[in-house]
Amino acid sequence: MSSVSFRKLEKSYGSLRIVKGIDLEIADREFVVLVGPSGCGKSTTLRMLAGLESISDGEIRIGERVVNKLPPRERDIAMVFQDYALYPHKTVYENMAFSLKVRGISSAEIKPRIAQAAEMLGITPLLDRKPSQLSGGQRQRVAMGRAIVRRPQVFLFDEPLSNLDAKLRGQVRTEIKRLHQAIGTTIIYVTHDQVEAMTLADRIVILKGGEIEQVGTPDEVYNSPASVFVGGFIGSPAMNFAKGTIRGGQVTFDGGAGIPLHDHSAGKVGGLEGRDVVVGIRPEHFVPAGEGHALSGQVQVVEPLGSDTLIHFALGQSTLTARVAPEMRPSPGEALSIGVDPSRVHLFDAATERAIAR
Amino acid sequence: MATASETTLVTTRNESGTKWWTRFLDPSEGTLAALLLLPTALLLTLIIVYPVCRLIWTSFQNLSLTSGLPASFAGLENYSLMLDDPVFWETTWNTVLITLITVPGALLVGLALALMANLPFNVKWPVRLSLLIPWALPLSFAGLIFAWFFHSEYGVVNDVLRRIGFEGVIWFNSANWAFAAICLTIIWKTSSFMALIILAGLQTIPRSLYEAADVDGAGRLRQFFEITLPLLKPAIVVALIFRTITALQTFDIPFTMTRGGPGTSTATLAMYIHQNTVDFLDLGYGSALAVVMFVLSMGVTAVYLRMIRARG
Ligand SMILES: Nc1ncnc2c1ncn2[C@@H]1O[C@H](COP(=O)(O)OP(=O)(O)OP(=O)(O)O)[C@@H](O)[C@H]1O
Ligand SMILES: [Mg+2]
Repeated sequence: MSSVSFRKLEKSYGSLRIVKGIDLEIADREFVVLVGPSGCGKSTTLRMLAGLESISDGEIRIGERVVNKLPPRERDIAMVFQDYALYPHKTVYENMAFSLKVRGISSAEIKPRIAQAAEMLGITPLLDRKPSQLSGGQRQRVAMGRAIVRRPQVFLFDEPLSNLDAKLRGQVRTEIKRLHQAIGTTIIYVTHDQVEAMTLADRIVILKGGEIEQVGTPDEVYNSPASVFVGGFIGSPAMNFAKGTIRGGQVTFDGGAGIPLHDHSAGKVGGLEGRDVVVGIRPEHFVPAGEGHALSGQVQVVEPLGSDTLIHFALGQSTLTARVAPEMRPSPGEALSIGVDPSRVHLFDAATERAIAR
Repeated sequence: MATASETTLVTTRNESGTKWWTRFLDPSEGTLAALLLLPTALLLTLIIVYPVCRLIWTSFQNLSLTSGLPASFAGLENYSLMLDDPVFWETTWNTVLITLITVPGALLVGLALALMANLPFNVKWPVRLSLLIPWALPLSFAGLIFAWFFHSEYGVVNDVLRRIGFEGVIWFNSANWAFAAICLTIIWKTSSFMALIILAGLQTIPRSLYEAADVDGAGRLRQFFEITLPLLKPAIVVALIFRTITALQTFDIPFTMTRGGPGTSTATLAMYIHQNTVDFLDLGYGSALAVVMFVLSMGVTAVYLRMIRARG
């Protein structure tokens, strides 16, 4: 088990810069999730850590060792691949034993290790099968088993759940979390799914275009997104955004409505009178009319979800989505009066799109 | 929709008028299958089953066009003749020896070529092209070129040997050297075919397996024996089947390089069949020889197929 650190990590293909100076310290036993849209360089970063991709500039350390030039086998990491990369001609047992055999560990020691890992993952009855005789979920488990038996310093996962159906994905997600709690090894996990990131991570690293947008605990990135991008990326349904201007202690939407600035925020943005901002409000932070600050709009579409109701409504020029109690079922076209808690309103600079309050 | 309405039409006709051919217009599944297979079956019968049966039939006959006698049934005479024919034994032995040398030889060279061609070159076409050219070259053409290469005076092989301080060899005067020259030529000519099939096999192995093996700690050599080779087995067996069967039928290269000489020391079974049927016009004996070659090929194929099945 070991810490990992990236210092000014760079990757370019020719003149194309893919990873643009990543600085990140990952503590021992931490579960860190790299998340971001497709093509933002998550896999590339992970593969540089694994030694499968060369490093263009900067430094990677595992523990105290700089591993820039080390081949994968000397880095003491284990990786679970998106397509699992199980050896098709070897049985499950042989797949799990391979790395140990290569390292010259005696079969007397290999056997109990595999038995233990197989027990933990519930794949003991599958040990004699070939990968082609397994279901997707079972293959996924075998791939994890192959990583576990190694007892490496760091586990790397590259989108390990993307080939599973939605239900199984939830199940295996829980299992991965339990696994981390049981063995405590440092895990670096790549995904483009913010739900996986939120549920699994001790800390989330949000990447955009090869750069770190924000690093924080799931609560931090959810409650205080550092930018419009993070606000929109984390949370589902996505955060509402509307253009506005700060005037006299309140933020006024293009449509005319206004929300008073939260005391705390007001203090911070006091010097910003007249500035153009982007206002971010999460759908779940609307409250029944009468609580919070009242807004009125016009209902466009209503989506009942059972557990709650989504209301899409027009507010001036913008369309916003509110998640409200299931009993609330207005009809399209109706006037809507709904409250918003000013303390949960996010403000971003309109030009830089970075957070300016809270 | 078109098919559905046609079927209805046919059914109606079938109920009113009952001409025999209406059965073919609304066939049961069994009849339909038979009808669909019929053209292929006929074609195969015409070009494979009939010639093979005819060959076997001829091998039981006295049929020599030089004797002026009409064909007569000979029973197993042609076959018993064969047992006492030293040329038959020699050419068969040569054929088997060529197979035993050139098939593994071409496999090894082909494997090496395929591994090289599979390296991540920036420009791939020259490599692929140089694999395709020997394969596309006609056999007899390769034989003629290499006959020149091995020429005792003007050949490039002797030239190189002399330059590095050896004496030149008069290749085609000695049974062993001539045989060696033929085997080398065959390996050169056929290894590119092996390489092409193996290359296709190599490209089906996902790169992530090698990455997993890298992370698992296996070195290049280990990866070759534990991943590449086992996953190439099906491709290799297919290549071996094709290559072995053509090796048993070796004709063009020894024919153009040595005409079987010196003596009959480099003659193959196929050349002996050719000599008996085309030169001596003894169709009965020639056919019997050909039947032996056919049986040999079938036997080898059966062994390989069993190997594939055993591997699952
Ligand atoms: N060998 C290469 N040559 C050139 N560009 C490459 C190469 N490999 C990857 N890229 C580019 O690098 C960028 C980042 O790729 P990467 O695989 O890291 O994305 P990702 O964040 O993992 O995305 P995804 O979620 O789709 O897997 C992409 O724009 C990709 O096109
Ligand atoms: Mg990726």
